[in-house]
Amino acid sequence: MTIEAGIEGRAAQATRVAVSVRNVDMSFADFHAVKDASFDLEDGRFLTILGPSGSGKTTLLRMIAGFQKPSAGEIFINGKPVSATPPHKRSIGMVFQKLALFPHMTAAENVAFPLKMRRFDATTIPERVQRYLDLVHLGGYADRRIHQLSGGQQQRVAIARALVFEPDLLLLDEPLAALDRKLREEMQLEFRRIQRELGVTTINVTHDQREALVVSDEVIVMDKGVIQQKAPPSATYRTPANAFVAGFIGVTNFISGKVTATSGDAVSFDVGGSEVTGTWAAQGPAPSVGASVTGALRAEQVRLASSEAELSGCQTTSRGVVRDAIFEGERLVYEIDLAPGTLLRVFDHDPAAHKQFAIGDNVAMGWNARDVLTFPN
Amino acid sequence: MRTYRKAYPLGWRIMDGIEAAVAAVWPRRLSGAVPYVMVLPAVLLVLLLVIGMVQIADQSARVLDTSTFMPSADYRSANYEQIFNSGLYWSILWRSLLGSVIVTVLCLVFAFPYSYLMVRTPSALLRKFLLIALFLPFFIGQVVRAYGWLIILGNQGVVNEVLGLVGVPPMRLLYNYPAVLFGLVQYMIPFAVLMLAPALTAIPEEIESAASSLGANWWRSFVHVVLPMAKPGLIGAGLVVLTLSLTDFAMPAILGGGSQDFIANAIYDQFFRTSDQGMGAALTIILVGIGSLVVGIVFSIFGAGTLAMGRDRK
Repeated sequence: MTIEAGIEGRAAQATRVAVSVRNVDMSFADFHAVKDASFDLEDGRFLTILGPSGSGKTTLLRMIAGFQKPSAGEIFINGKPVSATPPHKRSIGMVFQKLALFPHMTAAENVAFPLKMRRFDATTIPERVQRYLDLVHLGGYADRRIHQLSGGQQQRVAIARALVFEPDLLLLDEPLAALDRKLREEMQLEFRRIQRELGVTTINVTHDQREALVVSDEVIVMDKGVIQQKAPPSATYRTPANAFVAGFIGVTNFISGKVTATSGDAVSFDVGGSEVTGTWAAQGPAPSVGASVTGALRAEQVRLASSEAELSGCQTTSRGVVRDAIFEGERLVYEIDLAPGTLLRVFDHDPAAHKQFAIGDNVAMGWNARDVLTFPN
Repeated sequence: MRTYRKAYPLGWRIMDGIEAAVAAVWPRRLSGAVPYVMVLPAVLLVLLLVIGMVQIADQSARVLDTSTFMPSADYRSANYEQIFNSGLYWSILWRSLLGSVIVTVLCLVFAFPYSYLMVRTPSALLRKFLLIALFLPFFIGQVVRAYGWLIILGNQGVVNEVLGLVGVPPMRLLYNYPAVLFGLVQYMIPFAVLMLAPALTAIPEEIESAASSLGANWWRSFVHVVLPMAKPGLIGAGLVVLTLSLTDFAMPAILGGGSQDFIANAIYDQFFRTSDQGMGAALTIILVGIGSLVVGIVFSIFGAGTLAMGRDRK
């Protein structure tokens, strides 16, 4: 908890609002892409908009960039409404999904392009271009053509080009989606380093939940055009606002049933004959007995043992048969029958330290009521 | 096996049959030769053309004896000397070359926005309309179209009648240089659009969005990004329009009314009116020479690679 408190406290010093999205709506002919979206982003913060494809996250970003005009609502950048401002008059650097580097120019010419278009003092341009190429560790590649650079180097040129004119805002439209995993993770840290170094307010769009947790100060989760939650990464993970957020981030088991009893925040419900106790995590009063609810239980919160006696610290225990055991290197993934039709996915993060189970073993599972976040169904 | 086969569609079974038939007559050993066999027809056609060119070159050096009406038995340079010493041929050469350059420039200027709109419009309806408007003239043919212009632009034509309604006296709109160029531009635009469209399709829309977010208004984005990236298409389209206009026959003949001959018209006259085959052949050689020279110059400046040929382009 202390590490997270530190991370979240660091950015809390900044208070000036850089981007303010107010009741923004976007409808296409046959598709309501963004519904009544509102949020504020403080100066110097790194925000990630996370959501599945079709959730409206890219449309929201394109409206902030100025490529699309909201059907309703207004976007403010540094307090000024921008809906009437075309993209080339906004001070926004953007890194595109397919990078959109100019193939007929060298790396340096690409980086110099925004400076020339924005009529910077021509005598200072070469020095500035070099400084930003150095920033992304491409100092020696100035005269290379784009197709002579590797995928990662092209990413870096795109970042330098988007930042060289010191924009008020940096937008990242899933630029890492096409990279292989290793390079993607390396570039995530690179984005984070550069963003901290320059302190530029950044909005990143991705469908990669890991990326959202790694790079951001704040995460907005979107689904079906609606903002589901805006919170720091750890809060998004620990206290999801609803079942969608709980399911989209992390590996989550959903167990549904009818409420049998409630006591304060504790909600007990029946899952195919076995009783599960969870914690009411939705807004509003606890459900009444007989209501249908869904509990969200993270795969890493479940403990396994041969017998219930070994799970003394757990409030809820149950038994089931191992249906599958998958070795993923750093962890083992079990799929275990909780009740007929309900498979529970369980992570064992240190397989060497624990007893390993085989397919067909009858095992005991245990967890605590606070780990079963319960939402209305 | 047989029971499975019935489940496949007829087209597949026909293909299987053809494959089996080919395997029966064409030994497997020779399968490496298949690609060469497939390029053979094209090579033969080009070869025939080369033989024809050799014969024309041979004819061009034989001078017609006006008394016997027979070509000379020995080679002489008189045909070429006559062409280069005659003001008439110089003016025809100049008219053809200048005309085809003007037509090329105008075609590229008009075709660019047309292709751009066709490629970029989000409306499928508009795209279909633009495509139909593009292909419709192809169904009509050049000569019929030229006659159409005679009807429209003639002294009693539609244009002059409309102008007459507002009190403008009838104008001579035909049988002059601008009329020929107008006809050629109208004829060549579809070719230019068809050559440009793939080049513009190859420019991602994201590139233009990027230029815009980096601070370029539409004009600067056009000059610094779209135009340089469309260069291969522009050169390809330009070469096609230039060579087709340079060698065009029908438009100068019909819309020029005999007063605005291009080289092809002069060649026709020599072959079929004065029957001076040697002279016609010499003009042909010059036309082929000029065309090859222009294409050669363009390639040497921009490189054949700009036509997006070759495999190492990205």
